[in-house]
Amino acid sequence: MGRSVYLMFVYEKRLQYPVKIKNTNPNIARLVISQYGGPDGELSASMRYLSQRYTMPVKKVGGLLTDIGTEELNHLEIICAIVYQLTRDLTEEQVKTAGFDAYYIDHTKALWPQAAAGVPFTALEFQSKGDALADLFEDLAAEQKARTVYDNLLRVIDDPDVRAPLKFLRAREVVHFQRFGEALEMTKEKLNQKNCYWSNPEFDR
Amino acid sequence: MTSKDPCCCTEHLAMAFIPKQEWCEPYDLCTALKEGTIFPCLNLAFYKAPLGEIDLPAVSDSSDSKQQKRETAMKRMMEVGFALNDLTLYLDTHPECIKGLSLFRRLSKERLTLLSDFAKDFYPLTQLSMVMGNTDPKEYGWAEGPMPWEGACI
Repeated sequence: MGRSVYLMFVYEKRLQYPVKIKNTNPNIARLVISQYGGPDGELSASMRYLSQRYTMPVKKVGGLLTDIGTEELNHLEIICAIVYQLTRDLTEEQVKTAGFDAYYIDHTKALWPQAAAGVPFTALEFQSKGDALADLFEDLAAEQKARTVYDNLLRVIDDPDVRAPLKFLRAREVVHFQRFGEALEMTKEKLNQKNCYWSNPEFDR
Repeated sequence: MTSKDPCCCTEHLAMAFIPKQEWCEPYDLCTALKEGTIFPCLNLAFYKAPLGEIDLPAVSDSSDSKQQKRETAMKRMMEVGFALNDLTLYLDTHPECIKGLSLFRRLSKERLTLLSDFAKDFYPLTQLSMVMGNTDPKEYGWAEGPMPWEGACI
C-alpha cells in the first residue's frame, strides 16, 4: 500500500530510543558490543532481512522485511551509542585493568563489529536461503536468539542508564517475532493446503 | 498451488501456527517508548527487567532553558517516531485495520509538524526539514547540532 515511511534509506539525526550514559565502564562495553557484530546482533539481523526480501513470494512480507531490516539499522546505532558512551572517557589505567585491553590494542576506542568473545562479524552468521518457509523460520529463530542475548545482558548489567535501552531493544525482539509469525501465516496462504512443503514458493512459480 | 482454503488458520502437522494479533488499546506514547511497544498485549517482560522498573532519561532540570526546550521537543519526537515505527510493522500485517490506520495518519501529521518545529527552533533532523527551518539560502545547516550518539539530548 506504499505506506512505508522509508522511501529510501534516509538518515534522521536522532536515535529511536535515547542513550545517555553517565559512567564509563569498558567491562560492560565489551559485552554489549556483541549486539553490534555478534552472531545474533543487530547488524546480522538487518543484513538478514534486507537480503531475504527480494525473492519473497508475498509482497507484503517483502515490505515487512524492509521495515524490520531498517529498524534493525537503528538498533545497531543504539548499540554503538551505548558502547561509545561507555568508553569515550576511558583512561589509560582503565584500558589496562577492565578487560578492554585486547579490544583497545586493535581498535583503540573506535567501533568495530565483533562478538563479545572477539569473533569478527561475518555474513556466515545469517542465511538467505531462497525458500520462504526456511527464511521465515530463520527470522523467527533470530528474534528469539537476540532476545536471549538481551536477557543475558540484563542479567549481568546493573547500570540503569544501560539497562533502559537494552530493555527497549529486548521488547522489540518480541514484537518482531510476532510480526514474522503473521508473515508466516500470510505466506502459508500461498502453499498447498495438504502439504506446505509441496513446492518452494520462491522458486516454483 | 494457491488453495481456496489455506492452511494458515488451522493447525497443521509439521508446521508452526502463530495467532494474528488483535488490535489492543495502545499505551500512552511515553509509556510505549519506555516499554518498547505501543501494544500492552505484546509487552512480555523479562523478570530481570519488569514492567515500569526502568525509566527514560529525564529532561534535564538545568537552568539552560533552551536545552530544556530542546530535550522536551526531542522526547516528543522520539515518542511519536517510535509509535509510528511500531504501527508500521503492525499495519504491514494488518493493512485493513481502521483503528491502526487512523492513528497512523494522526501521528504522521504530528510528526511533520514536530520535524518542522525542531528545524525552526534548533536544527534540522532530516535533509528535507532543512528547508522547513533555516530560510537563509547561503547557510547549509546539516552539520548543526550534536550527533545522535553523543547523548547530548535527553
